Amino acid sequence: MSVPAIQVRGLGKLYAVNELRHPRTLSERLWRLLRPAPIAGGLPESLWALQEVSFEVAPGEVLGVVGRNGSGKSTLLKILARITTPTAGEAALAGRVGALLEIGTGFHPDLSGRENILLSGAILGMTRAEVRSREDEIVEFSGVGQFIDTSVKHYSSGMFMRLAFAVAAHLRCEIMLVDEVLAVGDAGFQEKCKAKIQSLAVGGGTVLFTSHDMASVERLCRRVLVLNEGRVAYLGEAAGGIAEYRRLAS
Amino acid sequence: MIGVAWAVLQPLLLAFVFTVIFGLLVGVPTDGNQPFPAFALSGLLVWQFVAQSFQQAASSVVINSHLVTRIYFPRILLLLAAVSAAFFDLLCVLALMILFMLWYGIAPTLGVLFFIPALLLAATTVLGLALWLGALYVPYRDIGHLLPFLTQIWMFLSPVFYPLGLLPRMFDQVYALNPIVVVVQTSRWAFAGGQPPPASMVAVSCAVAALLLVSGLWFFRRHEGRFADVV
Repeated sequence: MSVPAIQVRGLGKLYAVNELRHPRTLSERLWRLLRPAPIAGGLPESLWALQEVSFEVAPGEVLGVVGRNGSGKSTLLKILARITTPTAGEAALAGRVGALLEIGTGFHPDLSGRENILLSGAILGMTRAEVRSREDEIVEFSGVGQFIDTSVKHYSSGMFMRLAFAVAAHLRCEIMLVDEVLAVGDAGFQEKCKAKIQSLAVGGGTVLFTSHDMASVERLCRRVLVLNEGRVAYLGEAAGGIAEYRRLAS
Repeated sequence: MIGVAWAVLQPLLLAFVFTVIFGLLVGVPTDGNQPFPAFALSGLLVWQFVAQSFQQAASSVVINSHLVTRIYFPRILLLLAAVSAAFFDLLCVLALMILFMLWYGIAPTLGVLFFIPALLLAATTVLGLALWLGALYVPYRDIGHLLPFLTQIWMFLSPVFYPLGLLPRMFDQVYALNPIVVVVQTSRWAFAGGQPPPASMVAVSCAVAALLLVSGLWFFRRHEGRFADVV
């Protein structure tokens, strides 16, 4: 048994949701010192977005995370990517982590496609030399072609997203976290994306991705984690997970 | 090169305005008999750095919320980047300052040796304060309205368009609670031939700056884990 690439134990995340208790301005906060807020009727103080989530992912495995909207998928990925801290439990990741939580992270509209490859690559964790050595590959993958030296603000939304995904897909990392970005581009491009994820896993990379598209989950993952209202509803074989997701969603 | 022009143009125009209004119309004296434009620019040189880096650093987490919510990195890098950018502008203004010195025939003094430590003092103060306000800005958005106002008051509390000697000496220690006073005075001493700031003031300022930085780091680190949740 090798060391798991991702090990999550008893993970929980509590969000404060009561605006009355957490004013958005300092002046209001100070005012509250003089006049304490009335007890807010009906609104809960806080919400467990995740609760007692535990699982392990082996190196080279592709784990699909599925669940309805608001089930805690994105929160889980944000904690794994260290963007936010968990309220309870812990997550240990062994290896360099690449997080692709939203398409186009670090893109600047006024810069050209080529300049954005460099900028976005740097922000996602590549060195200048690494990006340069893979630049042609990235341009080729994106299919943006002759427009690579045009400002990205003139791109169609499809071109923009394809380029953004292309940069992220060429990150060299041991663990890749992908949040619903596979639904980018046309059928041909989506096919390329899936092939890329598979090749990452074949090369020993660990991938954790969320999706609402059960066809891609079925094709890419052997195991699936189903979340429901922040708790693990199912963890195991893909077929069973997909069935559980369908049951919960209906 | 265009960026350099913008960086230089603002202090140049401000030095001109200060010279006309405070030098000619109001008749503000300078320490000794420095030409007013050189006196004004030596103050603006460091003040512009302080104002720009403070405002940019304090708002950097909120301005870059799209990065904060999507990717992990030590959040303090945003503040350091803001201060570094302002430092580059300062270098451009420094070149202008040297031109002023050549024009007015002002020889640099021993103060030049203390200019770098003075800048470190300024950066420490700015970073310390920006860590506090930057972390507070994330949940409390009215900090955004406070920043320009605070910067303006800070300028009046620093001897940018008036000499340090204008104040009664008995208030020196209180005045030194604002470390930028010492910084401006050192810049003036170095490039416009003024007097060095009294050692007692330097001591007070260094203590204040260190306290601001240490407390700011503590406060910022305590809250940075939740930035992505509330920004």
